[in-house]
Amino acid sequence: MTDDRVEQVTCLGCGCGCDDIAVTVREGRIVDTSPPCPLGRAWFGDGSVPWQVLRGGQPVAVEEALTEAAEMLVRSRGRVLVYVGVDLSSQAQRSAIALADLLHATVDTATSETAAAGLLAGQRRGRATATLGEIRNRADVLLFWGVDPVLRYPRFHSRYAPEPPGVGIPEGRAGRFVIAVNIGADRAPPGADATITLEASEEIGALSLMRAALRDSRPAELPPPFKQAADLLPRLTGARYAVLVHDAEPTAEPRNPLRVEGLIALAQALNGPTRAALCSLRAGGNRPGAESVLTWQTGYPMAVDYSRGYPRYEPGLRGLNRLETGGFSAALVVGSPDFSAGTTSALARIDTIAIGPRATQASFNPRLAIDTGVAGIHDGGTGYRMDEVPLSLRPPLRGQRSTVEALGGLVKGIRLLGQPA
Amino acid sequence: MKGLQQLRIVGGAVHDPTNGIDGEVRDVCIENGRVVAALPDGAPTLDAGGMIVMAGGVDIHSHLASSSCNHARRLLPEEHAAEPAPAPLLEDGAPARSGTGGTVPSTFTTGYRYAGLGYTTVFDAAVAPIMARHSHAELEDTPCVDGGFFALMGNDEYLLRLIASGERGRSRDYAAWLLGATGAYAIKIVNPGGIEAWKSGQRNLNSLDETLTTHGVTPRAILETLADAANQLGLPHPVHIHCNNLGMPGNVAVTLASMRALAGRRAHFTHAQFHAYGGPGWSSGAVPLMEYVNSHPELSIDVGQVMFGPAATITADGPVEYLLHKSSGRKWVNIDIELETGCGIVPILYRDKAAVSALQWAIGLELFLLSADPWRVVLSTDHPNGGSFLSYPALIQLLMDRTVRGERLKQINPKLLAGSALADGLTREYTLNEIAIITRAGPARLLGLQQKGHLGPGADADVTVYSRDPDIARMFATPRYVIKAGTLVVEEGQLRRAPAGRRLHVRPGYDDALLPGLQKHFQAYSTVAFDNYPVRGIRDEPIPL
Ligand code: SF4
Ligand SMILES: [Zn+2]
Repeated sequence: MTDDRVEQVTCLGCGCGCDDIAVTVREGRIVDTSPPCPLGRAWFGDGSVPWQVLRGGQPVAVEEALTEAAEMLVRSRGRVLVYVGVDLSSQAQRSAIALADLLHATVDTATSETAAAGLLAGQRRGRATATLGEIRNRADVLLFWGVDPVLRYPRFHSRYAPEPPGVGIPEGRAGRFVIAVNIGADRAPPGADATITLEASEEIGALSLMRAALRDSRPAELPPPFKQAADLLPRLTGARYAVLVHDAEPTAEPRNPLRVEGLIALAQALNGPTRAALCSLRAGGNRPGAESVLTWQTGYPMAVDYSRGYPRYEPGLRGLNRLETGGFSAALVVGSPDFSAGTTSALARIDTIAIGPRATQASFNPRLAIDTGVAGIHDGGTGYRMDEVPLSLRPPLRGQRSTVEALGGLVKGIRLLGQPA
Repeated sequence: MKGLQQLRIVGGAVHDPTNGIDGEVRDVCIENGRVVAALPDGAPTLDAGGMIVMAGGVDIHSHLASSSCNHARRLLPEEHAAEPAPAPLLEDGAPARSGTGGTVPSTFTTGYRYAGLGYTTVFDAAVAPIMARHSHAELEDTPCVDGGFFALMGNDEYLLRLIASGERGRSRDYAAWLLGATGAYAIKIVNPGGIEAWKSGQRNLNSLDETLTTHGVTPRAILETLADAANQLGLPHPVHIHCNNLGMPGNVAVTLASMRALAGRRAHFTHAQFHAYGGPGWSSGAVPLMEYVNSHPELSIDVGQVMFGPAATITADGPVEYLLHKSSGRKWVNIDIELETGCGIVPILYRDKAAVSALQWAIGLELFLLSADPWRVVLSTDHPNGGSFLSYPALIQLLMDRTVRGERLKQINPKLLAGSALADGLTREYTLNEIAIITRAGPARLLGLQQKGHLGPGADADVTVYSRDPDIARMFATPRYVIKAGTLVVEEGQLRRAPAGRRLHVRPGYDDALLPGLQKHFQAYSTVAFDNYPVRGIRDEPIPL
């Protein structure tokens, strides 16, 4: 039997968005991916997903399911929630948001529970950042603030920084100075050129002191951890291009929401004496894609409510929270999110439709479920890297039904019902 | 009157300067999306009696569909919240989309609003090639207008290397490849070499012959190389240039030097207002700039008028935005984009009582009023940098009505206006025909869009019909009818249909000998695979060259 090898496949296993994956396919199953990456392997798996259409757990024709879904959503007595997942191409996300607009629904995405603090801080202050290639090609000083990318962004070190050589860094790792800042349980990479350790309670103070030191106004006497932090400043200001790296996704340990704002402010301020950027690590799937599409269609990157017939921004009252307090009578879940027990049982109490990869396996027992392909594995289109560079998806497997196709059928069904305006 | 196969627009005063028609009452006949010479008797008619008929507007320089625009949208939720935009009610309940306004509206709202102003063709003037896929996606969601974008090349790593090693021919091939790979329409230069200087720690380049130290290349060499590339490739639009030193006092010197550097070559200099400051200190440099432009028919400009009110500065010119952030204290986005360019965003408020804003306003008007050839001086606000495209009607009024202009001039801060031509009294009033030139016929010609900007047989059936109104601003803000490719988009002043627009792009040929070296460069430094870089599946065919 012959293997098929598909080259230069884009992986959405984490936000690194590596587009150099060779995928080996045998009899419709993925049997190998290289270069090896544990998270990438897990993302692709063997590529097998269900291709079913179920109503109340029983097989039904897709056209029938779509007609019924359209009726369910249009006739819904109360409000509709549209949840847009991350294992979707931007094209699928675009269709899901179009549906939400049509239905005057509330949109929620993974962003609300993950990277929201950074987005909100960015809306207050702006930000100084760079695409990953810029970091690779320029960063001569890298500061990892409470994160070791190796665990959740396995190839970050080897593809972006500090390992590879770049235009301005021909020596690779040897040409870069790496600073590790451990914060409580959030550990930075071992093997750094300088390491400091802060208690979680000390980090916000340390960030403020670093900004103060930048303005030459640090106090003369400082307790040791703060002194160490302030002493990092000359390293950063002496860089040609300093990059601060932090994890924008939550960890098990609760995190001070002021961290990201402090880092944004510090990275911006460093652009006086030198050049600097903040790199915000983002997890897998097309998370920035959902934010990007929402922004161009509504002006807002998350938590959009269309219930008045136009987009309103409700970052403080996201859809899923309102779901649990009975805010919706129907829900359309696009994609295959992992919901909490509370969300799962709330979804089970209302008319719920799931369309997306593994929809028929959803834990919340949707009334109607239509399986579609996974972005980048069966579905083509665009996926956004953590730095919002749009990548072309090159699916190694052929799916039976794309998400865009299924959502298109739903839009058609809703239009046939002539509702709502 | 929907899927109109035929339509005769009857009785309007037609302003079609391309075809030498200046207000003559005549019919405009449309068949299958094109203007035709005649229609059989009995074809459906649209009564435009007493009205003014022009081709659809053409915006040569706007920022409406790019990753940078999207970063600006995301930065300004407060503006969106203040201006919700419910979906328009289209005919037959066709689905329409809601959105939000502000200085950078959401995409659907942008398309509807452009059509509502009678504009049917729009270009985004600054797209980082690596972000091209994003721009195509936004354009897909910007209905009612044909659109395209210009690809940023003036700080591109591979191009700088080619220029440094004297490879002009290869530079042209690379420009051709980039245009085709991204589905762009034209070559754009922003602050030649200055963005790379910003990213590499040199901060900026301030004159045409200052060397970019990382590459040993000057802005002059970048301008020459890309101007020649555009002309030799036979692109419909010549190189589109945002000069060095945007917004700096005294910058008219570098602007004039840039124009002289390209003497005899076709070139378009954009948002000239932002590059027309005398110095030292702040003063108007409009007179010397327009003397040069007027006497050099190979050059064209768009004005980049400042209109008082809120705006958002969005530019690849990173160093300028840093300075603006420092001086204004407003929030600031900077995104350095690998191997290609940058992006900076700062919201701004132009106040008539602020001396610099007032000077900028005056300089823009001077450029218009001192122009000897309206075909080469295009109306723009560099939306949303100098103001929203929604302010075009107010700008047209300032050009057509010197009483309104004079009244406005009395209200603004006069501190920096000493010696300005406007303050000394420019009495010119633009005619309707001149307005038709600077808003459609001229930009269409400069863009090489032979089927746009006019109403002769063979033209795209993009037509705008205005009801006469003594209030010029109101007249241009509320066209009575707008037809896009034969579809009646605006009817009785209401948006009724929202067809998808066409994608305008080029795919010039190049010598394949470019590819091995380029592939090696990708392998060494790019984070996107060479084969994954090009945008595929663009809906419309490229414009034939
Ligand atoms: S680092 Fe992330 S994107 Fe790259 S292969 Fe591993 S999981 Fe996939
Ligand atoms: Zn511009």
